Amino acid sequence: MANKLTFDSVQVGDKLPTIVRPVTQEIIWKNAVASLDYNPVHIDPEWVKTAQPFGIPVTVCHGMMTMSYMASVISDWCYNVMGKIMRMESKFVKPVPAGWTITCNGVVTEKHLISPNSNYVVVELTAANQHGETVAVAKAEVMFPDA
Amino acid sequence: MCAVNLDRYLKTEKQKKFSYNFLQNAEDYQAWDEIKFREEYDGEQVFDIKAEDMIAYAEGVSDPNPLFNNEEFAKKSTYGELVPHPIFLTQIAFWCIGIKSKGNWIRTPGARNPGQVIEFYEPFHVGETIHIKQKAYDRYIKRGKYYLTFQVDFYNPKNVKKARWLCSLVLPKTKADIRKFVRGERGVAV
Repeated sequence: MANKLTFDSVQVGDKLPTIVRPVTQEIIWKNAVASLDYNPVHIDPEWVKTAQPFGIPVTVCHGMMTMSYMASVISDWCYNVMGKIMRMESKFVKPVPAGWTITCNGVVTEKHLISPNSNYVVVELTAANQHGETVAVAKAEVMFPDA
Repeated sequence: MCAVNLDRYLKTEKQKKFSYNFLQNAEDYQAWDEIKFREEYDGEQVFDIKAEDMIAYAEGVSDPNPLFNNEEFAKKSTYGELVPHPIFLTQIAFWCIGIKSKGNWIRTPGARNPGQVIEFYEPFHVGETIHIKQKAYDRYIKRGKYYLTFQVDFYNPKNVKKARWLCSLVLPKTKADIRKFVRGERGVAV
């Protein structure tokens, strides 16, 4: 990867820097406060013992927290050169309980050459637990300022 | 009732005002089978973006990027101002939807997040007041689960559309199912 990240320098197959984030109940509570999403499946260990929306008796982290982690892979990569996410689509495939560690990776899979103000790349992102099992996937369309 | 007290984490003005007991008003949440299409709804309240809101979101998603949490650093950057974390709009959405507006199904106990789509048009800035427009976008059944998607659009006071969130959840089907979850019983098949 070139030192100065630009649309021209980005190539299909480029790998983005990995992000590793632990998930604890404390972190989930802080995320609930930050997002204002206080669903009891995230914040209430007593409630979830019997309610079990995911079929497990423990709290799980917010899907939006996992999506935020995946988005941070993009922002860590290109926000310092004014890159921006135009669209992001995520799918959550496995609930993430407290105690897990999430590793997020991204790779450039498409490069769309349209016109100077419309060019963009597609980054495919994955979030996996400490066993390497995928918990979420995402796809982000990213634009760079014209050189 | 919610047995957890999170007061120790509340820092911002909005966090201190926001009701975090999602079980409390669940009787008023729209159920999956009550959703109406072809109607557009305002949010319950607007969101005045403050630096503390952006900083709190970045902290809540464990992102140490100084563009998100250090006003002085951000002012000296090419952005010239604090930058919101990409998924900051989650906070705006929950605040604007509040407790009573249509779209309050987003607070439903027992809901599950299958995945989301967000389109970003213009960046959010500190000092802006954001309002939302929302409407039902899709409702479907897949593998025995009940999916609902709302289209939530975010606007500044000049009605410049900043972002669109196609917000989806797997929901309990009926009010009776929601009541089971409020009682701490499983209200849906897994």
